[in-house]
Amino acid sequence: MNRIVRLVPALLLAAAACAAPAPTGQGGTPASKVGGSVTFVATTDPDTLDLHQTSNPVSSTIFGWIYEPLIYQDLDNTYKGLLAESWAVSSDNRAITFKLRKGVTFTDGSPFNAEAVKFTFERLVRVGAKSPIFETFKNIASAEAKDETTFVLNMKEPSAPIFHDLQTAYAGILSPSAVKAANDNIGRAAVGTGPYKLKEFQTGQQITLERNADYKWPPALFANRGAPYIQELRYRVIPEPATQLAALDAGEVDVLGLAAKDLARYSADGRFKIYDSFTYGLTYLGFDAKRPPFDNAKLRQALSRAVNKSEIVQVVFENKLAKVSCCPIAESIQGYDPKLKDFELGYDVAKAKAGLDELGYKAGADGLRATPDGKPFKPVLYTSTSDTHGKISTLLQAQFKAVGVDLQIKQLEAGALLAATPKAEHDLYLNGYSWNEPDMFSLFLSCDRIASSNRVLYCNPELEALIRAGRTELDQGKRMKIYFDAQKLTMQEAPWQPLYMPVSKTAINVKIQDLKQGQAGGLYWHDAWVKQ
Amino acid sequence: MGRYVLRRLVLALPVLLGVSVAVFLMIELVPGDPATVLAGDTASADQVERIRHELGLDQPLPVQYLRFVERLAHGSLGESTRTHREVLLEIAERFPYTLALALGAVTLSTVVGVGLGILAAINRGRAGDHVTMGIAIVGLSVPTFLLAIVGIIVFSLALHWLPVTGARTWQSYILPIVALSLHSAAVKARITRSSMLEVLGQEYLRTARAKGLRERLVILRHALKNALIPVTTIVGLQFGALLGGAFIIENIFGWPGVGRLAVQAIFNRDFPLVQGTVLLVAVAYLLSNLVVDVLYAWLDPRIRYG
Repeated sequence: MNRIVRLVPALLLAAAACAAPAPTGQGGTPASKVGGSVTFVATTDPDTLDLHQTSNPVSSTIFGWIYEPLIYQDLDNTYKGLLAESWAVSSDNRAITFKLRKGVTFTDGSPFNAEAVKFTFERLVRVGAKSPIFETFKNIASAEAKDETTFVLNMKEPSAPIFHDLQTAYAGILSPSAVKAANDNIGRAAVGTGPYKLKEFQTGQQITLERNADYKWPPALFANRGAPYIQELRYRVIPEPATQLAALDAGEVDVLGLAAKDLARYSADGRFKIYDSFTYGLTYLGFDAKRPPFDNAKLRQALSRAVNKSEIVQVVFENKLAKVSCCPIAESIQGYDPKLKDFELGYDVAKAKAGLDELGYKAGADGLRATPDGKPFKPVLYTSTSDTHGKISTLLQAQFKAVGVDLQIKQLEAGALLAATPKAEHDLYLNGYSWNEPDMFSLFLSCDRIASSNRVLYCNPELEALIRAGRTELDQGKRMKIYFDAQKLTMQEAPWQPLYMPVSKTAINVKIQDLKQGQAGGLYWHDAWVKQ
Repeated sequence: MGRYVLRRLVLALPVLLGVSVAVFLMIELVPGDPATVLAGDTASADQVERIRHELGLDQPLPVQYLRFVERLAHGSLGESTRTHREVLLEIAERFPYTLALALGAVTLSTVVGVGLGILAAINRGRAGDHVTMGIAIVGLSVPTFLLAIVGIIVFSLALHWLPVTGARTWQSYILPIVALSLHSAAVKARITRSSMLEVLGQEYLRTARAKGLRERLVILRHALKNALIPVTTIVGLQFGALLGGAFIIENIFGWPGVGRLAVQAIFNRDFPLVQGTVLLVAVAYLLSNLVVDVLYAWLDPRIRYG
């Protein structure tokens, strides 16, 4: 999850670079700005550029430049047309009719049309079990290409989150002719309509993308109405953080996300400009709400009050790379409402102790509490092996000790952690989520997901009804009210204690000019050019 | 000798089969299954089950193993669950980089290590001995990753002579090879020194000198050849180990080698790729040991294989 949290700004770069409607006219691309290259860091080897066969965030960052989805999420979080010019939802909310953009071609020269969209989504349903948007597309009853520019998506039941899923890099549209030419093996033969095309895939070293000179449909928010200015984008695989910094210093890479400890140094370095961005998600402390003792909401509430979030943000992130979160939906995501702060349990050691006393968790001579039946109370916190999670766990251990609870920490490698939590081996769980949609509730807190992505195993029929209502309600005002209630209930029941929203600080070489930054801090590259 | 080599190669087959069974069983013990890791942390139980079925992980373990052996008999190690490419292709793309690093490091460390060892032995008790053995102790003590990072700071950041990462130019090879060589050069220097000291006291060398041979010839032709037997063992073992990849160095330098591929495959629970890389390491060890045994016979004519 942490990996996915880190991905979000990068996804933004890619999505934004791909995106949006070109209402009128085609501007030229001033020759003086064209050229140069920008080198990014890929922290792990991208597995495949087949967007239906992966959930790997590094891969999606890269194929996000190559493929374009039908819609994109604008700076104000609203959805706008990209490869679709417009759309209409049927009266029963079960069908969406897209009018597609004319004159768009894939980089293999084949035309973009409704058949290509139909082909793409049918392939996603057929082979896309590894895709993060697969579950949403299981709700598709049929896909129809009515004519060259009319595409209809028929759903089994209304789905509000479908727009979120349709704008992700994973919903990019494939060139059917390119897929057939590659015999369906498009992992290294990615062909889309995006501003860049794949030039070279050097296994384990570098992926190079080159400018799509025929690209003429950039988003309206860009001044550049033609193809991108930057000739080449390179993703260099550098797994080791120390080497990433050395490569940035040596000029081998131009863009790098920074850790708190490196921030002061690079802020003072004239060769770089630092860009801030929020991530679409947060890190939370969860309780295994299915089995005793944490099936008791009062115990969860008491321990939640022992958590000092400000201390975590200050000690671990030096107040720079994170912001305290009050509520289940992060500040950067639609559905966040500052009024919810009134329902936050808040840090209160006295109340935490009183709550534990009331439940019969009495402190012994050593100050540590025992369970009501007299056994030592030593709840076990499961988390990943990441350095950040290790530091936070240690702080939580100290904070719990202040109320007499002897917290045990178990750090597991990512794969082992994913396997352990559905088996309810843990008492507490520290991790994050990244999902730019209030429907994150259905992924992380619904009864349906108890054996999988609901890692706190919380199931509440009242919340379940709200989650279901939120998924099917297409009226934005009503939908946000539903998520207000869902958050309020979650904050009171406390299966989760939201801790912080990560903030990314990215050092970018000053040779890159005219880089745009969105409200949430996402970087938009289509106007950017490289000073030679 | 030919029959001996052939017999050793035939005997390698059951060893490799044993390795594959052991890896298969070990993989079963690793917590976390490939389907869960592949599906990611937002996947539903249905999604995970579907991937498990696609990968054949819903089959009993013996059936999975038999399928693996069946593929192996057809010359295939299966497909990577991540990249959907042939495991052999994945390894083949990385192996040349690992081989280049291994050859470079073994050559450099052998030349430097043996050279320093000879120098120390023929200057026993004198300044030359103390200096070279001091260098060897430093080489043994400095962790490889530290040397790699210091190398980057000095030669890439301060002097701008060498690139920080990748394997794109010949200059890219210098830092990883040097970083990998230091420790093994130090081992070889110490072994060469003690082995040389033992040989230098032998009667046949006194005879060689008495026959009027020049000291250089005595050392290099007569003494060194016999002193090299234990060094050869070390070279063989180190070369075998390096062919399995040098994960730390590959990680630091962003080197596209087999070591990084193997470790990433373990994290990804990409079991066909784990199997493939482990078998590669096993083959590398078997072959390098065989070469070492053959070299023994060349270095010491008393050793005969039949």
